[in-house]
Amino acid sequence: MSHGDHSRDPCPYVILNDFGGAFSMGAIGGGIWHGIKGARNSPRGERFVGSLSAIKARAPVLGGNFGVWGGLFSSFDCAVKGYRQKEDPWNAIISGFLTGGSLALRAGPRSAFGSAVGCGILLGVFEGVGVLMNRMMAQPIPQMQLPEQAPATPAVSA
Amino acid sequence: MSFLSGLFGSSKPEAEKEPSASADLFNSTTFRSNVNPSPSPSDASASSSSSSSSIPQPPSNASPVPAVSQPAPTALDAFSTSFDAARLHPLAGLSDNLELLQLDEDKLTEIEGAASVLPSRGWTDDLCVGTGTTYLSGLVLGGMWGAKEGLSRPLGNNPSFKLRINSILNGCTRRGSFTGNSLGVLAIFYNLANSSLDSVRGKHDAYNAMGAAALSGAIYKSSAGLRPALVGAGLMTAAAGGWSAFKTMV
Repeated sequence: MSHGDHSRDPCPYVILNDFGGAFSMGAIGGGIWHGIKGARNSPRGERFVGSLSAIKARAPVLGGNFGVWGGLFSSFDCAVKGYRQKEDPWNAIISGFLTGGSLALRAGPRSAFGSAVGCGILLGVFEGVGVLMNRMMAQPIPQMQLPEQAPATPAVSA
Repeated sequence: MSFLSGLFGSSKPEAEKEPSASADLFNSTTFRSNVNPSPSPSDASASSSSSSSSIPQPPSNASPVPAVSQPAPTALDAFSTSFDAARLHPLAGLSDNLELLQLDEDKLTEIEGAASVLPSRGWTDDLCVGTGTTYLSGLVLGGMWGAKEGLSRPLGNNPSFKLRINSILNGCTRRGSFTGNSLGVLAIFYNLANSSLDSVRGKHDAYNAMGAAALSGAIYKSSAGLRPALVGAGLMTAAAGGWSAFKTMV
């Protein structure tokens, strides 16, 4: 799954991309969310002003939270990849664990560990669902690949 | 456990798809290396160490081996050392963790003058990378500002180390997130405006960047009134113009 994924930049640069992507997602999504929420919560006649002030106050903060999470996760993902030298679902789980832990670090070790475990489990569920989807989608491919694979392998060793 | 073993079993067929492609490449190179059979390792290292000077070598190399049923020397033979199998061995061994910046050519941005340091796949890539860079630099700058503030904040007489650390961290998180968020939102506006202008005008130049900067500065300060919006637009335009001039000079 990793080597086929050339639609993303190689590792150090993908951190910037993820930072920006997560921040934009949070900021734009937060803009829509808090725009609606601010409009609903303000009295009639001041809906637009209330919506605008809610967006200004909350959307960048939400974007920042998203961005820090995504960027930290991406950095840890790259670090874990570089350390383990392989790509499998454990990378995401480990980096989710580390991200959750380091974001809750100031609340004390107990809270950090709980948050880390929660994040790791969440990422594990994501990865598990992704892998299951991948297996369901990619079922017929191995049967076509294997006969072609057999003669090609000795040629490499020869 | 069966779930976990299934987790890792699925990635194998995907991963084994690639060695067959590299095996094809490898076969084609061994075929060509018949021209000079079994080059000595010193020869291979010498030719690999000086790749530019290795091109005139084949004539001297080929003189002892004309008996090996070599056809008439063609122009391709002059480059035969560059297809040497001994030099491709590391590549064949590397094929598993070889990471190249492979982007689909047809998906790359085709607006002229828009090429930058990183290849981009269109406006979403520009938005993500531009915003990420700006946000991260804002975070670092703001963090430094906050750290300085936290270091110099008076904490009464004889403050403990823990209190000082807390003050520094508070400063970092306050100033860093403020600066990063503001710059990040500004960068979102700028990149959206820039990409829109690019696609409308069909090319990218300094005027484009300045126009996008003016637009984003005006939007960013639009809720403060007309005057601050104009001031913001002017400041951003000046910054973008300065940056463009710097880029053309360097």
